[in-house]
Amino acid sequence: MAVGTSPVVETNTGLPTPVQAEAHRRRRPYREWLASYAFLIPAFIVIGGFTFVAMVAAVFISLFKYDGFTLEWAGLNNYAKALVNADFHKALLNVVYYMVVVVTCQTILALSMALVLDRIMVGRGVFRTIYYLPAITSSVVMGLIFSWLFSPGGWVGGLLGIVIPGAREFGFLLHPETALPAIMTTTIWSTAASFMIVFVAGLQDIPAHIYEAAKIDGAVGWRSLWNITIPLLRPTIFLVVVLGTIGTLQVFDQVYVMTNGGPLKSTLTPVFLIYTSGFRDFSFGLGSAEAFILFAIIFTFTLIQRRFIDTTVEY
Amino acid sequence: MRSMRLGLALAVMSAVLLAACGGSSTSSGGAASGTIRFSGWTSTPAEDQLLKDELAAFKVKFPNINVTYEPVPQDFRTKLKAQLASGTEPDAFYVELGDAAGFMQKHVLLDLRSEMAKTGTNASDFSGQVLGAFKQGDAIYGVPKDSNTLALFYNKDMFTAAGVATPTKDWTWQDLTDAAKKLTKPGQWGLITNADSARWAPFVYQNGGQVLNSGNTKSMLLDPATVEATKYYLSFKQNGSGTYSGALGAGIGWPGDAFAKGKAAMVMEGGWLIPFMKDYPNIHWSATELPKGKQRGNLVFTVGYSISAKSKNPDAAWVLLNYLTSPDNQKTVLHSGFALPTRTALASDPYFADHPAESAIFAANAYAKPFSWGINSGKVADAISAALERVLLGKQSVDDSLKQADKEVTDALAS
Repeated sequence: MAVGTSPVVETNTGLPTPVQAEAHRRRRPYREWLASYAFLIPAFIVIGGFTFVAMVAAVFISLFKYDGFTLEWAGLNNYAKALVNADFHKALLNVVYYMVVVVTCQTILALSMALVLDRIMVGRGVFRTIYYLPAITSSVVMGLIFSWLFSPGGWVGGLLGIVIPGAREFGFLLHPETALPAIMTTTIWSTAASFMIVFVAGLQDIPAHIYEAAKIDGAVGWRSLWNITIPLLRPTIFLVVVLGTIGTLQVFDQVYVMTNGGPLKSTLTPVFLIYTSGFRDFSFGLGSAEAFILFAIIFTFTLIQRRFIDTTVEY
Repeated sequence: MRSMRLGLALAVMSAVLLAACGGSSTSSGGAASGTIRFSGWTSTPAEDQLLKDELAAFKVKFPNINVTYEPVPQDFRTKLKAQLASGTEPDAFYVELGDAAGFMQKHVLLDLRSEMAKTGTNASDFSGQVLGAFKQGDAIYGVPKDSNTLALFYNKDMFTAAGVATPTKDWTWQDLTDAAKKLTKPGQWGLITNADSARWAPFVYQNGGQVLNSGNTKSMLLDPATVEATKYYLSFKQNGSGTYSGALGAGIGWPGDAFAKGKAAMVMEGGWLIPFMKDYPNIHWSATELPKGKQRGNLVFTVGYSISAKSKNPDAAWVLLNYLTSPDNQKTVLHSGFALPTRTALASDPYFADHPAESAIFAANAYAKPFSWGINSGKVADAISAALERVLLGKQSVDDSLKQADKEVTDALAS
């Protein structure tokens, strides 16, 4: 193209002209740019194919009555159906109860474990590993182990049986009142460990000089915890609470392994309901609509939390 | 463990031998040839091996037909539906009873009548109701791989200890109630009654009741005969002579566990309990047909072999299915102890004479109804099981619980 050929380039003086130097400088970033895209491609294909395309397809499917064979236009009927479904209401109530208890307990427990670890001088690595073990155990394995612990004649009943007569033969997962709390316990046990690591990292970010200054001012022990550690950990606490909320609202595996949503739907959760709508009843449209309603709810919760937890910290 | 391996080896050997020498009565494959794909889910290693041996024997007998076996270890139903939707399904595959109605409605299965005519196979060659769930009008969309009904399994030692005469097929509901009471003592229950529509339904049929109307379009749960049968089924838990398996503690996952671990004198189960009990040689058991109510009633559980409506080689696919469901092959399977036959030709097989449980299960084929309530089977079964659970947990009366289930079933049928 004639427009692109500049007369300046043609005057060859042996030294790089400003234009050539500029072009040279640009070429290298361009190459790096290519290389970084090349590295991104595998992840892009996997995430694009299995997440993005699936998400777009789900939007589309949620507007149809789809059983895997025939597509039938349904408009917003699936959403309307999901919103008036008594099972969906029950699932939402269950999961909010579950979220409030689990997020509160796991955050407090994780922070406590991190604070203890932060103070231990001897064998810190050993304790950290022991505390972290539940986090790397598969949730299915955890679910199975805890179903045994909670079953009639299991260890939990056995321990309680020492104080409460008859508790030994009590099946925690068989009664609507105790099944969900039993699953909560299982979850807290495993997730507190992974959030503990986040808190440990957060604690290390707090500069030592602040504690030293506080010490000179006479703030030690609980006062230092309340006035320095916790305020300065706000971004970490926010992260843990938000991740915890998102995770608990999407609970599925423990329910699938331990109770299948029973007894009497007392452990039915939205994701479990989405799974049954899609893969047992083969109502993919309804399942997709339920998934988007859940997405809207999680999105709202996260926005509200952002508003109420101030995450700006200045050291 | 060693005895199991030995048994397996014998089963394999007998399968090969029988397949090799007993070929005469199977109809020939005619001109069918080519490659076909065949898919099903995997079972226990021993049962998978049996199928592989059957396929190997088929290859010897029909060298012109190449079978590509595609076993699916998990979520077979989901995979099959995806394959059917995308047009990549195998030529021949398993169809679960609960899916049959939906598949027939979508016209994805081949009507087998013309293929059956080619090999001279008749609908009447299959016993009782086993074809029922795969039929629509006169059209036949699947042939049953094997079949099961429920039998009353009982612990002989417990009956002797309690001084109760062992059950016979002529027992009435009253006999069952009386025996269950006498067989109950601390740590031992007379009968296991789980919140399971597949254990409750036989009593409904025995009482002349219905679950849905004959067209599967209307709930019949509030029919007086159905309500009465439900009250009877739940009476064992209520009078303390029965319980549900989940209440029995760690390691009791299903009624079979309760029976095998000596916690229950009687359970209602199918042929799947028989190989399971081999691991519990200390339990001396036998089985007979379920008791009679106003009439006989039972359920047929079966899995069908079907051919895709789009199969390019239905002739070869049928030759394979016809071979697998042939009396000769079913005889091999029967004698290996894994599954019960669906062919009337095997009704007088000597194996039944000294195997009372198998005999009771096979006999019930004559009057049992398929465990299927049409295209909404899953939701109907769920609503009923939940209703039974509410009563077992003492949350609702039978009448209130059935009213709620009736509403749920009515809603499911309307959607």
